[in-house]
Amino acid sequence: MPRAGPRAVMGFGGPFRRRRDGRYSVDVDPKIRTVLAAVAQQLGPMIEAGDAATTRLFPPAYVGEERAPDEAGYRSLVDGALRNHHHRALDVLIETSSSETLSGEELDAWLSAIGSMRLVLGTRLDVSEDMDPPGPGDPKETEYAVYDLLGMVQAAIIDELASGLPDEGAPDRAL
Amino acid sequence: MIRARSIRARSIRARSTRSRSTRARSTEVETAPVGDLGTELDESLATDHPWLVIVWNDPINLMSFVTFVFQKLFGYSKEKATKLMMDVHVKGRAVVASGTRERAELDVYRLHEHGLWATMEQSG
Repeated sequence: MPRAGPRAVMGFGGPFRRRRDGRYSVDVDPKIRTVLAAVAQQLGPMIEAGDAATTRLFPPAYVGEERAPDEAGYRSLVDGALRNHHHRALDVLIETSSSETLSGEELDAWLSAIGSMRLVLGTRLDVSEDMDPPGPGDPKETEYAVYDLLGMVQAAIIDELASGLPDEGAPDRAL
Repeated sequence: MIRARSIRARSIRARSTRSRSTRARSTEVETAPVGDLGTELDESLATDHPWLVIVWNDPINLMSFVTFVFQKLFGYSKEKATKLMMDVHVKGRAVVASGTRERAELDVYRLHEHGLWATMEQSG
């Protein structure tokens, strides 16, 4: 898995900041917000159409032919909920893409939606851990630039959310 | 997280259904020919092996994200979450939790919600 990329384009001091009232301030360039909303708007219909790259959003739980019936059971149990989860996160991102502040739940949705967008774009680009970014003129150049940008926004959100978790862990947080 | 809870409720219902069917089966065992008894016992012993929740390496999810998810979902310390993340990264996979089948299914679902490549298998 890759390390977080450079965050220079996002400005100083972290673009996502938890405020005293528990909401998060969002200091992200309007052009980046436009890209986030545009990609999110494309992804929903791709999921519904069963686009090959979106199958990465629905991984198998059970591996192997002998577990095929268990896998079918798992799929029938969770696929609807997982689909709703992905759609809801994308919808929240689209609705709040211009917001100056976000609630904790909305920021979680941004993280989830951006993660899904990266998974689908990364699958389509067939990224690997040691690949060089496509050069100028490469047909994948633009899509890769978007993928890279999403990674930077995601890393910035994780920076802020992870700083709110106790280093020593919190077993009571687990279900 | 609301969705995860609804899945848990369904898992728990599934578990109670399963234990009912186990009871039904053990009643059948009493009247079953001796030859079938061994098979039944093997099956019931097999269900005692815990299920392992496994996360696989992938080239897309960021290392900081994977660590964050382990801390958030399992309440692990940053140190433990980082070690598990590095195991996934270096060895290709790591067992991140274990427990009953229903619990493992729920954990796998929560990891899938976060876009991680998680599967489950029975130990032993």
